[in-house]
Amino acid sequence: MTFVGFIAKNAFRNLRRAALTVLSMAVSLFLLVTLMTLVREFTIPPEDVGASLRVVVRNKVSLAQPLPYKQLTIIDKIPGVVAATPFTYFGGLFRDETSTMFAQFGVDPVRFTNIFIESKAPVEQVQDWVKDRQSCLVGKGTMDKYHLKLGERMRFTGTFYPCDLDLRIAGVYSGGIDDRNVFFHQKYLDEASGNPGTVGTWWLRIASAEVSPQVTRAIDQAFANTSAEVRAESERAFQMSFVSMWGNIKTLVGSIASVVVFSLMLVTVSTMSMAIRERFRELAILKALGFRRHEIFSFILAESFGLALIGAVLGVGGAWLFWSSINIQKVTAGTLIAFEVTPRLAAEGMLVAVVLGIVAAIPPSIAVGRTSVVAGLRTLD
Amino acid sequence: MALPLKYNLRNVVVRWKTTGSTVLGVALVVAVYVLLEALAQGIEKNSANTGDPRNVLVVRKGSQAESSSLVTREQVRTLQYAEEIARDAKGEPLITADIMTLVSAMRIDLSGEANLILRGISARGAELRPQVALVQGRMFAPGKREVIVAKSLAGRFKNLDIGGALKAGPDHLTVVGIFTGGGSAFDSEAWMDVEEARALFDRDMYSSLLIRAKDEASLAALTNRIGSDKRLALLAQREVDYYKSQTGTAVPIKILANLLGTAMSIGAIFAAMNTMYASVGARTREIGTLRVLGYSRRTVVACFLVEGSIIALFGGLLGCGVAMMIHTYVIASGIMFGTMNFESFSETVFQFAVTPALMVKGLVFSVFVGLIGSLLPALRASRLPVISALKSL
Repeated sequence: MTFVGFIAKNAFRNLRRAALTVLSMAVSLFLLVTLMTLVREFTIPPEDVGASLRVVVRNKVSLAQPLPYKQLTIIDKIPGVVAATPFTYFGGLFRDETSTMFAQFGVDPVRFTNIFIESKAPVEQVQDWVKDRQSCLVGKGTMDKYHLKLGERMRFTGTFYPCDLDLRIAGVYSGGIDDRNVFFHQKYLDEASGNPGTVGTWWLRIASAEVSPQVTRAIDQAFANTSAEVRAESERAFQMSFVSMWGNIKTLVGSIASVVVFSLMLVTVSTMSMAIRERFRELAILKALGFRRHEIFSFILAESFGLALIGAVLGVGGAWLFWSSINIQKVTAGTLIAFEVTPRLAAEGMLVAVVLGIVAAIPPSIAVGRTSVVAGLRTLD
Repeated sequence: MALPLKYNLRNVVVRWKTTGSTVLGVALVVAVYVLLEALAQGIEKNSANTGDPRNVLVVRKGSQAESSSLVTREQVRTLQYAEEIARDAKGEPLITADIMTLVSAMRIDLSGEANLILRGISARGAELRPQVALVQGRMFAPGKREVIVAKSLAGRFKNLDIGGALKAGPDHLTVVGIFTGGGSAFDSEAWMDVEEARALFDRDMYSSLLIRAKDEASLAALTNRIGSDKRLALLAQREVDYYKSQTGTAVPIKILANLLGTAMSIGAIFAAMNTMYASVGARTREIGTLRVLGYSRRTVVACFLVEGSIIALFGGLLGCGVAMMIHTYVIASGIMFGTMNFESFSETVFQFAVTPALMVKGLVFSVFVGLIGSLLPALRASRLPVISALKSL
């Protein structure tokens, strides 16, 4: 019998126990990888290709505070700014919904298409949208979810704004990371809400990612000490500010992940000890036959390592398969967007399994090492 | 024949090495589940605690939250002298027109910014909310750019102690007082004078109206009258009912609790199964003896089910104990939790609420894990052939 064969025979001689160990390992690793993915989703929001070229300008007080229209001419003149558009969150309720899980933004259509370059829509549809003030451009995700067709009307009840919107679907866009939004004419919103002369935020495209610090500084300074001071930041920084709002939840998920790892360790160590205790006598015989302590340790190590690895492949691979096959946006109604098990996360999961496999082999090995051959031979179950 | 309960209990204790890790495993599952649920309950308790049953809150029809509602000055004038409104000794109506807005502030550890709710209140605003009590400093003076801040916010954001400043637009609001909201939603707010807020944020309209009704009958009459007046397009409801409906923030935590609870308990079931199988294997001869003594198969099954439940119950008790300890520690050291309120996009501060009902839920959960985990091993034990079982080592 070869060395490997001996270990494999030992590992699977109690098939039920081996299966249960592997399965509990797999479930825990599935959970661990899922939690790590969740933490990643909280810390690093997914972003579009064009994001590094975009800057968001909001009121310094908070997002809820509007910005005056007259700022646009000043922003346009700042060096490094290629195009700027109003970007006003309408936050309306679609049809008779009590909570609508996609956003509607008022924009300047001509300028808009110069800024969101990764979102693609047929040219004639965009032209149609630009021409008709009461029309909108809708993300493919939303079109599919509600089974909407081109030319259909979308009715929104205002929550922040004391007005409603009635929009004709002029075009469908796709190609971004989160294709759910509805874009309509800011001018239409202005008219409907009685021309307040304000917008929600400004979104702009800059010439290159390198000029981003200069541009944001220049914009901040341009409106310092005015009635509407602003904060200009890259799209990424803007998204990160939402992450900061999650507060302690991130830490919470992180600490749960460590509890999961700990309980996982407990289970594996105990099963390994159980398996070894059962064959104390055999191991004593091996010792009597002349096997060295380190050889016996390597038998135990290889066995626990192998079981841990099988569990890891099942758990991590399962997590990867599961999360890549379901449509996370649909399931969580848009709260989670990408939820991607990255190679790095998978590797981290595997690493945890490897360490566990090694750690679990240590206590039983010490127990075997300490027992003399005679005492070992005498042990009963 | 009666169940040898003592036999099971002793077994659990004698084989503490194998049962110990299962007990710990179940304990961790239960602790995580109870603590997460306690967080969700904390958020819900905050909302449920808020408001006075005698008050009516008026917002714009179609508004999801107070912060997105608009009430015009015209509407305020129409309503403020309604006869259903309670009056004070001087005959003044008990009503406040509020402005609710968001201000972003830097966290105390400088890790980032979050939105705070800044509420502008009228002269009666504080009186209508008896849950709120000043604990330090004084009330803001009307007409001045001063603000009072909830204690839990002052501990989470930079420069919000007395004498500090909250930056709002081009101007600063000086912090002159610290209040507690008595475990209500007001614990996540800062208050200032409403007219100052209107000037500062350039707002023509108010966000909401809070009215104290004379009595139950006039409360019903007022809500009906406002709700059915098409010209007003306002929605009136009991203040407590409004806050009770604001529980969307707890939903993701609840989902997380259930997801983790389920996944972790599957892992725990496997662990329990492993322990029980080992236990059955090691006790083959004992089981044979029991059968020879006349215990039926059914009794043997029951006996192992009971043993599995006892192990898991120990785990459950330990888990609840751990959750209780963390809870006590958190309360004693005044740690608060904060997350984003999905209705208003602002920081909401809350506290654990480990309730007895939650603990019972955790224990039931653990027994369930024990029962499922020991079912197959118990069946196996009952099916062992008596003679060969007796012969085995």
